[in-house]
Amino acid sequence: MAPNSDWQEGNAKGEPGSSLHGVTGREPVFQMTMETVGEKEATDLKGRKFALPVDSEHKAKTVRLYSVAAPHMRTFHLSWIAFMICFFSTFAAPPLMPVIRDNLGLTKVDIGNAGIASVAGAVVSRLLMGTICDLVGPRYGCAILMMITAPAIFCMPLVSTPVGFILVRFFIGFCLATFVSCQFWMSSMFNSKIVGIANGTAAGWGNMGGGIVQLVMPLVFDIIRRDIGSEKFTAWRIAFFVPGVLQVMMGLLVLTLGQDLPDGNYAELKREGEKVNDSFQKVFLYAVTNYRTYIFALTYGYCFGVELTVDNIIAEYFYDRFDLNLQTAGIIASTFGLMNLFSRPLGGVLSDVVAARWGMRGRLWNLWIIQTVGGVLCIVLGLTGQLGPAIAVMLIFSFFVQAACGATFGVIPFISRRSLGIISGATGAGGNIGAVTTQGIFFMSSKYTTEDGIMLMGIMIVACTLPVIFVHFPQWGSMFCPPSKATEEDYYISEWSKEEQSNGLHHASMKFAENSKSERGRQSPPRSKEETVVVDGV
Amino acid sequence: MASAVIMSFLAGALMLCALASSVEGGVLFSTLQKTLSVEAEIQSPVAPMGIARAGDDHLVISWVLQGDAAAREDAEYEKVSLKLCYAPVSQVERGWRKKNDDLHKDKTCTKAIATQKYTSGGNSTVWRVAKDVPGAVYFVRAYVLNANGTQVAYGQTSNEITVEPISGRHASIDVAAAIFSAFSIGSLLFFLALENVRGKRSSSK
Repeated sequence: MAPNSDWQEGNAKGEPGSSLHGVTGREPVFQMTMETVGEKEATDLKGRKFALPVDSEHKAKTVRLYSVAAPHMRTFHLSWIAFMICFFSTFAAPPLMPVIRDNLGLTKVDIGNAGIASVAGAVVSRLLMGTICDLVGPRYGCAILMMITAPAIFCMPLVSTPVGFILVRFFIGFCLATFVSCQFWMSSMFNSKIVGIANGTAAGWGNMGGGIVQLVMPLVFDIIRRDIGSEKFTAWRIAFFVPGVLQVMMGLLVLTLGQDLPDGNYAELKREGEKVNDSFQKVFLYAVTNYRTYIFALTYGYCFGVELTVDNIIAEYFYDRFDLNLQTAGIIASTFGLMNLFSRPLGGVLSDVVAARWGMRGRLWNLWIIQTVGGVLCIVLGLTGQLGPAIAVMLIFSFFVQAACGATFGVIPFISRRSLGIISGATGAGGNIGAVTTQGIFFMSSKYTTEDGIMLMGIMIVACTLPVIFVHFPQWGSMFCPPSKATEEDYYISEWSKEEQSNGLHHASMKFAENSKSERGRQSPPRSKEETVVVDGV
Repeated sequence: MASAVIMSFLAGALMLCALASSVEGGVLFSTLQKTLSVEAEIQSPVAPMGIARAGDDHLVISWVLQGDAAAREDAEYEKVSLKLCYAPVSQVERGWRKKNDDLHKDKTCTKAIATQKYTSGGNSTVWRVAKDVPGAVYFVRAYVLNANGTQVAYGQTSNEITVEPISGRHASIDVAAAIFSAFSIGSLLFFLALENVRGKRSSSK
């Protein structure tokens, strides 16, 4: 049935190509038995061997945090550091707010508007970044964005009015779109079994920038004041050169050292014919017609959006409600962001661990449980009136809310292969929309006290996490429904028209489908349409 | 292992709790008597116009025990602490300058001008408006402190002083910002062009 030439390459129904010779691809894939036949022959476009074990798509099968081997681990480190510096720049103003508000004569409304502006800009830029990653690659996306927003950071030392302040924070906030390039890049470099931990660690360590900045900026400000002897109103301006210079340096490093895919950069791969230019309309179409995109954009708004909101309000909350001084309130505020060191990665790890046993259904349950518990803890935080318990509740709450972010991106890479960029971007944008909405409803006016706002935000988290129940993958099932007879190939090939398939444009998706069979969980019976092995030539 | 992590966090939380400064109730402003009369005047090389420029102009502040105060009232008066306080118009929409009757929590008078020894004949001081004074409308208040440093009486000016702040900007910062921004965009374009040229060269091989 299959002509001889197809033996060399995989065909549309998932029959494996030469790199998986000997494997029918129809048996369930158990954890730890990833096919390694192809490993010895795995080389990139230039014929270099990979430092890490790779799968058929040349994605790494492990994460070695202490290594900087190209391309996988080098990409990992470039990606998370770049994202961390962008977070640092976006939230560089809040720790210095007591000085800035005196210099510029800001009112509470101005500060609130600036906080919303800082996360609103990224709504648009995250959507665009998804498309850019799909079309020109994450390396260009990340580097270009960082170096274009760096001038906005350098404009902050020049600001002298409240409007100027709000505008500059708005433009700096665009660089939060590096989140999308980071996640997209991780999903391109790391195998689906470990994509949860790779995404979670990279994003979690990136988000830590929001905590680190609360400690670093006041320190830099102090050093400038003491050692250079500047006035307060000048010292904070000079301090802003630190995030600016860091961002430019990182942008250059990403541009020169980064690589889009394990096999090479988009431009080289396109030239060699290994990567096809995709059409924006098609990529966009398959993102907007997939209902899962919208559900995850909403739920992400109530884990990551909540995290951004808390980053903006938590220092003031502790300062006001518990009468702390600014330094202590700042230290407590920074611990919230610093929990990201392990909480978001753990969310991804939990997602991967649960998937090994229960597959995608496990990932969905994992996400729903973690995010709902986070919502309940948020309600408790708003109701806690003593300082010690409030700090403890805040720390546990931060763990769950950040783990939920990690768990979300354990699922996103499977929603679509063709439109991964736009869907990552839409989810990220949904996160920022959640932050804008939540700050606008609960924390702008004097209608609610801050503690009531926090409690109501918790209720909203629980409510907006319920839609996860409705996410259904035909090949893997959903939280309450088992899978149908469809296969992974059926699901991913539905994104390519017959014409595109005949041009062979879908091969990358088919390789991905093959590798994603791990999402069935352990010991699930074969469900493919033909139970017997097809012998070539028949 | 998870319980060890949780335990260490609760321990850390309790430590943070200990670090937090505890607040004791302070003197209530409404219990203080107004026994001093205070005057403040702007001294400026440029024609005053009621605006004091931070860093350049001076305030001449003089205080004296009010004529109708009974002589024995000032037995416990030790020091006089002069402060620059926000006028109500500058406290609107700014919770960090909020008035509170409890003087420990009150944020109206945050800028200290001077502390002088109390004499019944009164005293005066000349103070250059500091460069970190925000732009706002102010009045001057003098708190009388007893030997423990607690406020026992006060006096304040009836006129308001507007302070024009420094901008904090310098020409050198503006130039540096422009140079760094140009470098950022310029190096980006340079590297993109370089890759473009390299790409064309290898595809024409």
